[in-house]
Order: sequence, then structure tokens, then C-alpha cells
Amino acid sequence: MNFENVKLVYVFSCVALCLVILSPTLASVVTFPEGEKFSELWVLGPNRMAEGYPFNVSAGEVYKVYLGVGNHMGDLGYYRVYVKFRNQSEPLPNSTAGVPSSLEPVFEYNVFLRNNETWERELSFSFEGVSFEGNVSRVSKVLVDGYAVDVDKIAVWDETNNVFYYQLFFELWIYNATVSGFQFHDRWVGFWLNMSRQL
Amino acid sequence: MEPKTKNCRGVAVCLIVSMLLVVWFVPRCFAVDAVEANGAIGQAERDLGSAYVVVGEAESAGANVSVLLNRLGSAGDFLSEAYVALRAGEYGNASSLAAECSHSVAGIAGDAARLKADAERARSDRLLFTAGGSGVGLVLLLVFGFFGWRFLKRWYSRRVLDMKPEMEGTR
Repeated sequence: MNFENVKLVYVFSCVALCLVILSPTLASVVTFPEGEKFSELWVLGPNRMAEGYPFNVSAGEVYKVYLGVGNHMGDLGYYRVYVKFRNQSEPLPNSTAGVPSSLEPVFEYNVFLRNNETWERELSFSFEGVSFEGNVSRVSKVLVDGYAVDVDKIAVWDETNNVFYYQLFFELWIYNATVSGFQFHDRWVGFWLNMSRQL
Repeated sequence: MEPKTKNCRGVAVCLIVSMLLVVWFVPRCFAVDAVEANGAIGQAERDLGSAYVVVGEAESAGANVSVLLNRLGSAGDFLSEAYVALRAGEYGNASSLAAECSHSVAGIAGDAARLKADAERARSDRLLFTAGGSGVGLVLLLVFGFFGWRFLKRWYSRRVLDMKPEMEGTR
């Protein structure tokens, strides 16, 4: 190794050492690019798995599912999950257009989550005031976590599938501090229900 | 005797009627209607929203906001219940639950501001410490680098001078 090469190695070593010494200060001053920002919304069956969702339901029985939210937005998030109940013909949210369902919620959860934190809780629901008349079924009340809400929904008998279709679905909204209000976060999940006569 | 009994009966009837009127009127006078309940819920929404903003700022500054988040969570539960009561037409209940929500987040702004100031102070102290450490490290590197370079240069020259030239054919 000639003297020029030794000089070069020495200078490079000094620069590397310099960077090592400065790295703690640089780390607290320089902001690195963050990853993708997103939120999660999920619903799991009674066994906390993505299966076994309640389908054949009847009045007076209590059913349970697990509802979860995950925050990966990079900072503290204030979420609202609206629980909505619809029949087959009523509007669903449109995630592509960013439009929520126009239906009134039957319940809502307010969730505060730090970045990379998740929230999951058991949600129980049941129905009251269920009646059947010909090819029409009517649900008067939905109970979510024991709180009763008047809904008065009517479903027409689906002859193709032999069911009275209803749907319980959840919309994720996020608080926007700029407008001091909630905005639909383009995420929703739900599952179908078949209202059946009590045995 | 009879007029006295009649008098007493009249007084008793008057008392009962007035008591019934009080029972009927008082709750109506203090009853909360839908507008009031909506107003209370709106106020609770604003209180919770602004509390979230200040807690978020404290969290971004690096403060430990776990306790404040618990308070926000319980206030959020009150707000959910207030909406349920509103939908059920229990306006009085909705209004008191909304007030409970506002009460839960009262004072949170001050706590969050204190935590934020502490976190910012700790952060600037930490920055000062690391910057000082880095500065001392750089000075040491400069000093040792200079002496190291001199030592290396001398060692290299000695090594070159100590080399004995080999003549061809001397083996």
C-alpha cells in the first residue's frame, strides 16, 4: 500500500467516525420519511376469528362479534365507529366515492388511539319487536351493548335465497382538527343477517 | 262543629290539589327539550374535540398522555350514551350525559399543556446533551486525528526507510 492509499483510508475512517459521533444529534434533528398512513377497521366472529359471523338471527337472542380499529396514521387519532342497521334496499356507504351511508346510526363508539395502537371490543346485539306478515318482516328495535334503539325496518322475503335480509355494518370516521369535525374515513365492514322466526 | 270540619276538608282538598299541580308543573318547568339536549351534545362534541387536539399536541411533543387518553376515552363513552339517550327521546338523560362528557374533559387542556411543556423541556435538554456530546466527540476526534496522522506518517516513513533494497543476484 502506497502513502496516498494510506492517506485515503485514514481520511475515510475519520469521516466515518465523525458520522458515528454526530448520529445521535442528527437523529433528533433530521426527520425521516414516514411510511404509508392508514387506518384499519375489522369485525370478527364470536370466536375472534374471521368466521362464524351470526347469520340466522331471531328476536330475544343475544349475538356477539368483535369490532376493532387500528391506527397507523402517524399520530394520535380520534375515531368514531358508527353502527348502522339496514335492510336489503337501503343505501350502503361508497368507499370509492368516499360517501357514507345516509342511514342514522344505531350506536357509535368514540375511540382514541396512539400511532400503531389497536382497539378491539366485544359488541353484543339483539333484536326486539320482530314480526312477520306474509312476505314481510319487521324489526322495531335493535339493542347494541344493551342500549335499545328504535329502527322500524322492513325486509321483503328474498325468494332466491329464502331469507329476510338485513345487514349490520360499521363505518369508520376520523376527527379532522382543521374542520373541527368528523369525516368519513372510507372504510366500512358489515355482515348479513337473516331474520328468522323464533323456534 | 260542622263548619270547622268543612273548613278542614276544604284546606285538605286545596293542599292536595296544589301538591298535584306542583308535581305536574315542576318537572315540566325543568324538563329538557330536544333543542337543549342537542345543544348540550354539540357542546360536549366541541369540548371533546378541542381536548383531543391539545392531547394530540402533547403526544406529538413526546409527552406520556396515557392518563389523559383514559379520560378522553371515558368522556367518549359518555358522549356515545348521550346520543343513545337522545335517539330514545330521553332528552334530560342525554343532556346530563353530555354535561358529564364535558365535565370529564374539563381541565384536560391545562394538564396537556403542562405535559407538553415538560416534554419539550426534556427534549431540548436531551438535544443539548447529545449536541454537547457530539461536539466533545468531534473535538476529540480532531485532536486524536491530528496526532494519529502524525504518528501514522512517522511510522510509514520509518517503515519505508527501514526497507533494505534487494539487489538482484545477491540471493
